[in-house]
Amino acid sequence: MRTSRHVERRSFLKAAGASLATVGLTAAGCGGTSGSAGGGPVTIRYAWWGADDRAKRINESIALFEKKYPKIKVKTDFQPYLDFWKKFNTQAAGGNPPDVIQNAVTFLRKYAARNVLLDLRPQVEAGNLSTDNFRSGLEKFAEIDGKLLGLPVGSNSMGYIIDEKLYDKAGVTPEPGWTWDEWYAGMRKIKSRTGVAGDSGPHSIMYYYDLRLRQQGKAFFTEDGLGFTESDLTAEWTEAMKHIRSGLFTSPKRADQVKPKSATAAGLSAGEFTWDNFTVRYAAEGKSSYGIAPIPTTDGKKTGQYLGSLMLSGTARTKHPKEVATFIDFMVHDPEVGRIMGYDRGVLSTTEQFEAFEPTDRVSKQIAAYETRIAETGVLEPITPHPAGADVVESAFLRLATEMSLDKASPGEAVEKFFTEAKTAFTANA
Amino acid sequence: MTYTGHAPPEARADPPAATGGRRPPPRPAARRSVANRENLAGYLFMSPWIAGFLLLTAGPMAASLYFAFTDYNLFDAPQWVGLKNFTDMFADPRWQKSVEVTVKYVLIGTPLKLVAALGVALLLAQSRRGQSFYRAAFYAPSLIGASVSVAIVWRAIFTEDAVVDRAQRLFGMNVGGWVGDPDWILYALVALTVWQFGAPMVIFLAGLKQVPRELYEAAEMDGAGPWRRFWNITLPMISPVLFFNVLLETIHSFQIFGSAYILGGQGNPCGPADATLVYTCYLYQQGFENSRMGFASAMAWMLLIAVGLVTAVLFRSQKRWVHYEENAR
Repeated sequence: MRTSRHVERRSFLKAAGASLATVGLTAAGCGGTSGSAGGGPVTIRYAWWGADDRAKRINESIALFEKKYPKIKVKTDFQPYLDFWKKFNTQAAGGNPPDVIQNAVTFLRKYAARNVLLDLRPQVEAGNLSTDNFRSGLEKFAEIDGKLLGLPVGSNSMGYIIDEKLYDKAGVTPEPGWTWDEWYAGMRKIKSRTGVAGDSGPHSIMYYYDLRLRQQGKAFFTEDGLGFTESDLTAEWTEAMKHIRSGLFTSPKRADQVKPKSATAAGLSAGEFTWDNFTVRYAAEGKSSYGIAPIPTTDGKKTGQYLGSLMLSGTARTKHPKEVATFIDFMVHDPEVGRIMGYDRGVLSTTEQFEAFEPTDRVSKQIAAYETRIAETGVLEPITPHPAGADVVESAFLRLATEMSLDKASPGEAVEKFFTEAKTAFTANA
Repeated sequence: MTYTGHAPPEARADPPAATGGRRPPPRPAARRSVANRENLAGYLFMSPWIAGFLLLTAGPMAASLYFAFTDYNLFDAPQWVGLKNFTDMFADPRWQKSVEVTVKYVLIGTPLKLVAALGVALLLAQSRRGQSFYRAAFYAPSLIGASVSVAIVWRAIFTEDAVVDRAQRLFGMNVGGWVGDPDWILYALVALTVWQFGAPMVIFLAGLKQVPRELYEAAEMDGAGPWRRFWNITLPMISPVLFFNVLLETIHSFQIFGSAYILGGQGNPCGPADATLVYTCYLYQQGFENSRMGFASAMAWMLLIAVGLVTAVLFRSQKRWVHYEENAR
């Protein structure tokens, strides 16, 4: 097409304009840093995993915080558990992690080794953050190599969540200190009297196997590897296969199909091992009534339980460590926040918050009673810090146990694969 | 391909370019400057795209090629390891499994999808009442096909005691749900992809419209039945379109991710017992869950090479079965 010079100039200008606009947009997208040098408001970003109910509680707590500290603004961001870590990895790798994150023991060493987490110790010394008044067992929760890498917001323990109606119908009553033999006998009774499997199949739950090992004086993790041998796990998984075949454990196929619902809440089994604060979830998902039973034991005493916990950590690249500390301090200690959060992230970790929240619903009362009881009976042990790579090891454990339960691998093969993959995970994260 | 449109080809060609009839041609220097200005304007108009290509495609590709030869966990600086990622890959049983699952998926899914697309296109090519409704209805699934919600619904359809399971039991087949079963779940995934045959169907329809009626009329007069007409006229005549669809769908199939990831499940997103561990699913796991970006990059390049090879083989094979009209070459 031939054009006059006039049109040419116009098209030239248009093109230039369009390009400049694009560049301008890009620049606007990049420049979003919140400066604090002038003493103006500081914005910190807080990322956590969970769902809508937790979001409501957290937003309410943050509104309270912003009212008390008008110079600090908190921006939140949340995802489901697995997506949360993928996003965090990417953000941290890009040098743009959120200032504060919800964290768990599985990831502590992994990120400590990579200097991703903020050492909160100087902030404690500067008086911006208090480590006082934590319930027993939680004081030194996130200390690694002398650094304080997080503060727990709530504690939980593994428990055995049961469908109370099925247990009643079969006439089985779990008592503290009941043995594994009694547990199996109970499950057989349930199976024969109600037709429902006794358990959803504990073989794929890493924390269940940790309890089993602890009852024998071992643990799933040591500081830098696995705390058990191939023959330990082969014996455990061979036994599990027996119970899957006999129908004492839920058919793995059916359990997979009801996900994300748990098999017990779906009515496929009478109980399963999980964190005690998940009882809340079962009550919401299922049609029956659910309770927390004591963990079966080997010797009638030792359960192997410990307090696990969600914590808040700062990230090392934050430009506002003081504000991060102030925020964490508020979320962990403020009694009003305790009342708002309830047992959503486990039983409240500081005495201020624990005393401020009086559970009124049946499920929260049960969880509180359960944790008080295990604390009083003195079964609690210290937690083993998970080595870097523990998250990958946990997902391999889950996957290979499922593979075996679906008859795609013998226990021996699954165990062999597991040890190989665990080794790779520890090396890759070392 | 023969031209069967309403106007002869010549009529559609652009009129011969003007030779600057009225005005005398500009002097060479001026002409150059006009050309330069035009080029510059062109480049400026293209610059958003060029910037996007460099920043979002070429840059990451170059970075990924570099990472493929490093040990990179996203946090520490990448460490050069040479070909280690590639040798590790071939020795990794899960990688082998992912190749096996992907090849199986491509070999079963792609032909079935194309057969479905061609079959429906043949039905829809005939003039019937409500034809446009049927075309829209069959095309609809591929519009919504890539969405997460469809994969979730698909999962629900194929669980135990759901629609598919009940229908099977009516026929005395007691399979149970497909999604929790490592022997069946891949077929649920194949069914999902076959169901989304809309895009190749539309292309087939266009191809079928181009086959000259006279050929069928002549064949009918010679006594050729429908099967013979299909085999000896339709298929050769649409073979370029068929080739295009085979190529496109094969490449697509190799890259399947979203539906496999969702259908697979919650605990292990690549299916029970790795039954839907398609290549990209394992790549994603290695990269984003296990923080092995170097390994994941190596896997990505291996996929590119494999798809490139398959494409090359398909292109070479077309001499044997794709018929172009001589004058259309």
